[in-house]
Amino acid sequence: MTPTVPELLLGNFLCLTNPPPPESMGEFLQGRVAITGMIALLSAQEAEHGIEARVWENGAIRDLLRQGAPRHGAAHLVSAQAVESDLTLAALDRVNADLRRALIDLHIQAEISGDQGLDHAILRFYRQSADRRRLDLPASPAS
Amino acid sequence: MSLTEQLEAYLSRIWEQPVKVQDMSRIPGGASRETYRFDACLGDQIRPLILRRDPVGSLIDTDRRLEFLAFRSFHGTGLPVPEAVALEEEGGELERPFFIMGRIDGGKAQSPFSAPPYGEHAAAIGQQFFSHLGTIARADPLSLPIAEFAPAPALDACWSRELDYWEGVINEDEEHPQPIVRAAIRRLRRAPPPPAQKLSVIHGDYRTGNFMHDGQGRIIALLDWEMAHIGDPLEDLGWAIEPLWSYGETDRVSGMLPRDEAIAIWEAASGLKLDPVAFAWWELFASVKGAAIWISAAKEFRAGGLMDPVLGFSGWYTARRQDEVIARKLCALEGLS
Repeated sequence: MTPTVPELLLGNFLCLTNPPPPESMGEFLQGRVAITGMIALLSAQEAEHGIEARVWENGAIRDLLRQGAPRHGAAHLVSAQAVESDLTLAALDRVNADLRRALIDLHIQAEISGDQGLDHAILRFYRQSADRRRLDLPASPAS
Repeated sequence: MSLTEQLEAYLSRIWEQPVKVQDMSRIPGGASRETYRFDACLGDQIRPLILRRDPVGSLIDTDRRLEFLAFRSFHGTGLPVPEAVALEEEGGELERPFFIMGRIDGGKAQSPFSAPPYGEHAAAIGQQFFSHLGTIARADPLSLPIAEFAPAPALDACWSRELDYWEGVINEDEEHPQPIVRAAIRRLRRAPPPPAQKLSVIHGDYRTGNFMHDGQGRIIALLDWEMAHIGDPLEDLGWAIEPLWSYGETDRVSGMLPRDEAIAIWEAASGLKLDPVAFAWWELFASVKGAAIWISAAKEFRAGGLMDPVLGFSGWYTARRQDEVIARKLCALEGLS
């Protein structure tokens, strides 16, 4: 997804090593440090769950494309054949981008043709995929 | 020359007397502009002020003249809105466009990502929060300074102007395909809302985090008018009760009040009656607008050399939370369990 974990962590490093001007010390710097800390915590969650979420999502999209192909065109079967070169986050995301584009096309066709069954299956998939990609902020005290 | 010295040079020029700037400090928040607090000293007089300067990269592209005129439209009208002091669109001594406004001390703004922050004052703050929004909605925008610069759309064009704009932002900034928000946009276009009941000033970012309260249950400043415009008053209400700003709570909007109560307060203050069909459209639109902002943040994070963690966080964590919200709304609209 965008941005990637390597980008976020590199950004954290650059942000913390770049000396701020005098007027950006104090409260502003404290806020910066806090958000870089949150990004680091969430990156750990992504490292733990991100691959599983993407493998599930890519598989679920393939299933939807295969399900829709008989009614909405064999091209969706071709799209469903996109495969990951490996199970890194980057490789999974590259295939995910192709699969998502195909899914958007399929969903449009389902809406236009009144294929409510497929439309609803796709909407349910959206909810599940969003849940699986969820990142949870650590509990923080009210300020 | 430091920013403090640049600001001293600017204020001395426009006020035609020597000005000393002291205690300048950048404050977090206000992700679309760099925001600084400072004191301007003119002889024995000290003016507490805020500088809002355009950043190199930003969460959203907004016009500082509109924000300036929005402050001017509501300052002194009974709403807690700071005074608009000076606007410099060419950048002048500070090199980038900016404006200066009065500072209201003694309060704090809450992050929308902290624990529910209002405690025993939640209901009192909610009462003011939705009442102030209703007061903004009630005002005649064409009689206010903001009308000098903000175009007034036709009543039946408010929705399309906003949706066109934010879909355009997504088209321009999307770096990874986003099927959930695309499905929401198509749904909004398939079933447009009825024309607006009236035109109102739209704050544009009226939510938790964009006002200050005194810790004792009183709102003391309505801030961050950078997305102000003229449009359908339901737009602001939809944004204000967007689930993203509710601290994960499902029984209170914005972590303040039950939904029906919040709407009733808004109706009483605005003099308007909420049309549930129209409002359902604007609620989904609010989530689409949010998604557009987070998609832009992700792109801007990269374009800015990964240096702004607020943009990175917004384009990642917040974008995913927004996807959850939209997916749930789409399923609910179809009656899917």
